[in-house]
Amino acid sequence: MLKKSTILALLAATVIVGGCGAKSNNTNAGSAGAAEPSAPASSQASPSAEAPAQASGQISFYTSQPEEDVVKLIAAFNKSYPDVKVETFRSGTEEVIAKLQAEKQAGGVQADVLLLADAVTFEGLKRQDLLLSYKSPEIEHIPAELADPDGMYTGTKVMATVITVNTDQVTSLPTSWKALTAAESKDAAIMPSPLYSGAAAYNVGVFSRTDGFGWEFLQSLKDNNMTVIKGNGAVLKAVASGEKAYGMIVDFLVPREKANGSPIDLVYPEEGVPLITEPIAILKGTDNEAAAQAFVDFVLSEEGQKLAAEIGYTPIREGVTPPAGLKGIADFHILSGDLATLTDEREADKKKFTELFGN
Amino acid sequence: MATSDTSVLETGMKKGGGTFPRSLLSASSLGRYGLLALGAAATFFFFVLPIAKLLLLSVQNEQGFTMSYYFELFRQERFWKVLRHTFVIVLGSTALSMALGIVAAWLMAYTDLKRKKLLNLLIVLAFVLPSYVLTLSWSSFMGTQGLMASFLQLFDAGAKPWSMYSAGGIIFVMGIHHFPLVYLFTLNVLKKIPRDLEWAAKTGGAGKLKTIVRVTLPLSLPGITAGGLLVFLASLDNFGIPAFLGTPVNISVLSTLIYEEIIGFGPSAFARGASLSVLLGVIAIAGTLLQWFTVRKSKATETGRTDDEPRYALGRARAWVGGAMWGVLILITIVPLLSMITLSLRKSYGGKLNWSTLTLDNYRYVLFDNPAIWQAIKNSLVLSSITLVVCLVIGTLFAFYRVRKPSKLNKLAELAISIPYTLPGIVFALSMILVWMEPVPGWNPGIYGTTTILLIAYVCRFLILQIRSGVTAFMQIDASMEEAARVSGAGPWTRWKAILLPLLLPGIVGGGLLVFLTALTELTVSALLYSSGTQTIGVTIFGFEQAGKTLYSTALSSLIVLFIFVGAGLLQLLQKGSARKGGNN
Repeated sequence: MLKKSTILALLAATVIVGGCGAKSNNTNAGSAGAAEPSAPASSQASPSAEAPAQASGQISFYTSQPEEDVVKLIAAFNKSYPDVKVETFRSGTEEVIAKLQAEKQAGGVQADVLLLADAVTFEGLKRQDLLLSYKSPEIEHIPAELADPDGMYTGTKVMATVITVNTDQVTSLPTSWKALTAAESKDAAIMPSPLYSGAAAYNVGVFSRTDGFGWEFLQSLKDNNMTVIKGNGAVLKAVASGEKAYGMIVDFLVPREKANGSPIDLVYPEEGVPLITEPIAILKGTDNEAAAQAFVDFVLSEEGQKLAAEIGYTPIREGVTPPAGLKGIADFHILSGDLATLTDEREADKKKFTELFGN
Repeated sequence: MATSDTSVLETGMKKGGGTFPRSLLSASSLGRYGLLALGAAATFFFFVLPIAKLLLLSVQNEQGFTMSYYFELFRQERFWKVLRHTFVIVLGSTALSMALGIVAAWLMAYTDLKRKKLLNLLIVLAFVLPSYVLTLSWSSFMGTQGLMASFLQLFDAGAKPWSMYSAGGIIFVMGIHHFPLVYLFTLNVLKKIPRDLEWAAKTGGAGKLKTIVRVTLPLSLPGITAGGLLVFLASLDNFGIPAFLGTPVNISVLSTLIYEEIIGFGPSAFARGASLSVLLGVIAIAGTLLQWFTVRKSKATETGRTDDEPRYALGRARAWVGGAMWGVLILITIVPLLSMITLSLRKSYGGKLNWSTLTLDNYRYVLFDNPAIWQAIKNSLVLSSITLVVCLVIGTLFAFYRVRKPSKLNKLAELAISIPYTLPGIVFALSMILVWMEPVPGWNPGIYGTTTILLIAYVCRFLILQIRSGVTAFMQIDASMEEAARVSGAGPWTRWKAILLPLLLPGIVGGGLLVFLTALTELTVSALLYSSGTQTIGVTIFGFEQAGKTLYSTALSSLIVLFIFVGAGLLQLLQKGSARKGGNN
C-alpha cells in the first residue's frame, strides 16, 4: 500500500519537475527570482507565530478538482512539506457540500481544507459560520476583488464562462453574447443547467443583474430555443460532436479537447465574461491549523499557480502566464455581481430560471 | 384440537431452527429468542435507524416539531407536476421492463432458440452497461446528427427522429436498462414449472395461449412480480437517466427534485430533501404491499427441478423469432456497447471518424499510466465480493424465515430492508453519515471514512435483491419436501444440503449475480462515502466524467464489460467442469 503510493507520488513528482523545467523558460519577469523550491520561503515569510516550524501531521482536503489534478497538487505540496499527509475526498461541488452538511449535522465537519467551484458556495458556508479566517501572505499577489475581505476564502484560479462553437458548422467566430440570441443559433445552442451546476447558477445570477442583459437576455435565449443540459461536460460533448453549433461553457475545457483534435473553439465575448474562482478555505473545526495554512499558502504561491497553469487552468496570481488558448485575467472584461445579493437570491434565481425555461 | 396445535407449533419451531447444526438446534428456545432479538436489533440499527433519522430531519426545524416542510411542498404546483411525471415515468418504464423481461424469459426458458448462452449474457449486459453510456448512445443515435436521422432521411428529407429528450425517451431508456431484472427473476421460475401441468392443461383441451394464460402465467407470478417490484424501486431511485434526458425539456421526477433540493443552499435544504425522500419511501412501500397482495394466493407447486430442456419447438418460426430476438438485443445492447467502444478508441470527442483519429491511448492511460485505476478496480472487486457473500448468507436465511415462518415482524423487516434500495443514492449516503459518523453522540468509532462504511452501505442497499430472489426461490419449494426429509430422519443440516440448496441454487445465484454486478459499478452512494485510497470503479468513472474526460471513462467502462465477459466465460467453463465431475460420480 505504502509502496504503491510512494511510486505514485514519485511518478507525479517526475511529471511536475519535468514540466516545471520546461515552463520556467517563459516565466514572466518580476517573479523570475523565485526558483523551484519557493514554497518554504513563502512559509518563512508568514507572519503568524506558529507557522515558522515546518508544518506536520495530517489534513483532510475536500475538493471538486479532477482526481489527476489533485494528485499532482499534493505531490508538489509534499515536496515542500514532506511531513504533512493530505487525505483527499474528491467529488462534485454539490456532493462535497452535501457531505459537509451531513457531517455538521452528525457531530462535526471532518474536513480541514476545502477547494470548490465558486465564491457563492463559500459565501454560504461563511454565513453558516463554518470557515476560519486566514489571510495568506501570498494574497498580495492576488486581485483583491477575488478574495474575501474577511479572509474566509481566497480564489485560486480563474475560470471564465465563454462561447464555444463547433468549427465544422460555424466558420466565423462570433464576438458577442448576442450570437446566442441571433437567428443563426436558433435551435443550435446549448447551456448548462443552473439547477445542477453552481457555476451555471452563478452565471444566471450575474447575467440577470447586468445592464444590457437582464432577464430579457435569458428570455431571448429561451425564445431562440436554447437547450439546457445537466452540466458543462455535456455542453462540451454536444458541441464537439456537432449535435449543437454553439454552447455556453467554462473556458478551460475547450483548449484541452481542441488539442486532441475536436472541431471546437472558444471566444471571450467583448461585453465581458462571468468568472468563477475555485476558492480555497480553512474550516473552523480544523485540528491542524498550521498544516492547513501551509497548504493554502502553497496553492496560492508562485509554484502552486504555475502548477495550475501547467495542468490547464488560468492562474489567479499576477505574473503567472495562462496556458495556451486561454486568456489571462488582465485580457478580458469581467462581468460580476454583488456576492451577498447573489447568495441571497440564488434560490429565487433558480426558481425564476425554471419558470422561464419551463415548457 | 389442543394437541394438534402444539404439534404444529413444534414442527414450526424445529423448522425455525432448521438452519443450524443439530447441536445448536437442541439449545433452548431462549437461544432462539436470542437470535430473533439479535436479528431485530440488527434490522433496527442498520435499516430502521437511517430511515428514522431522515424522518426526524423532515419534521424538525429550529423551533422543534413541524410539518411545515410537507405543507410547503403540497402547496407548490411544481411538486404535483413532478409527482405526475414520476408516476408516468416509473409506471411506464416498469411496464416496458416487465413486457420485455417476460417475453425474453419465456423464449429463453421454453423454446428451442439457438445460442442461448450468448443471448443470456447479452441480456444481462444491458443491466451492467452504465446508464450514462446508455443515455449518451441513445441520445446521439436518435439525435439530429445520428444514425437514425440519416436512415429516416433516406425516405423523407425532412424527417426527424423521435426525440429522446422527453418522458417517452426516459421511459424507453429506463425500461431497457432495467428489464434484465424481470428477465432473471422470471427465467428461473419458468424453468421450474413442471411440464406435466402444461400437458394436463393441454390434455384438458386448453390451447397454447390458454395454457400460457391459465397455467404458466399464474404460476410464474412470484418471479414476475418480484422482478417487477425491483424494477419499480430501481426506477424510483434512478437519477442519471431523468437528469440527463429530462433537464433539457424541464421534466423533473422525485429523484432529481431531491437532488436539486439537497444541493440547494439554505438551512432547510436538507429538511426539504428529507421530506421528499420520505414521500418517495412511502411510494416504495405502497409498491411492495401491492406485490405482496398479488402473490398472496400464489402457492408452491409440487416442486420441479430446474428444467432446461425446450418445451416448444418453434419449427419454421425459429428463424424469424431468433432473428427478432437478435435484432432487439442488437438494438438495445450491442449498439450502445459499440458506440461506447468506438468512443473509447478515439483521439478526441467529435470530429471525423477515420483511421487517423483512432488510438489506443485511452486504454494505455487507463491500464498503465494511472495506478489509481487498478487500485479502484481491486477495491470494487473486493467490496462487491464481500457484499455478495454477506448478502448471500443473510439474504437466503432471511428469505427462508420470511417464507416458512411469515410473521408481522419479518414482514416489517422486509419493508425496512427494501427502503435503502429505493432512496436516491445521495440521500441514502447522507443518512449513512448521519447514523455512522457518531452512532452515539460524542463517540466516533472510526467507521466513517474507511472502507467499512462502504461495505455496510452496499450490504444495506443491495440486500433486498438477494432476499427477493431467495423468497421467489423458496416459494417454489413446497414445504412437503422438507417435511418428507424430516420424517425420513434427515437432520436440518442434511435437509439444507441435500434438498434445499440444490433446488434453491439457480434462484439465489441469480440474485447473487445481481448483487455482485450492481455493487461492482455502484456510483451514487460511493461518491459520497469513499475516502482516500478506497476509490471504487464508479467513483473513478464519475471523476472522469466530471473532468470532461469521457474518452477515459468509456475506455474504463469497456474494460469492465470485457472483464464481465471473461468472468462469465470462466464461470461457464467451471460449471462444465463440475458437471462432468458430477456425471462421473
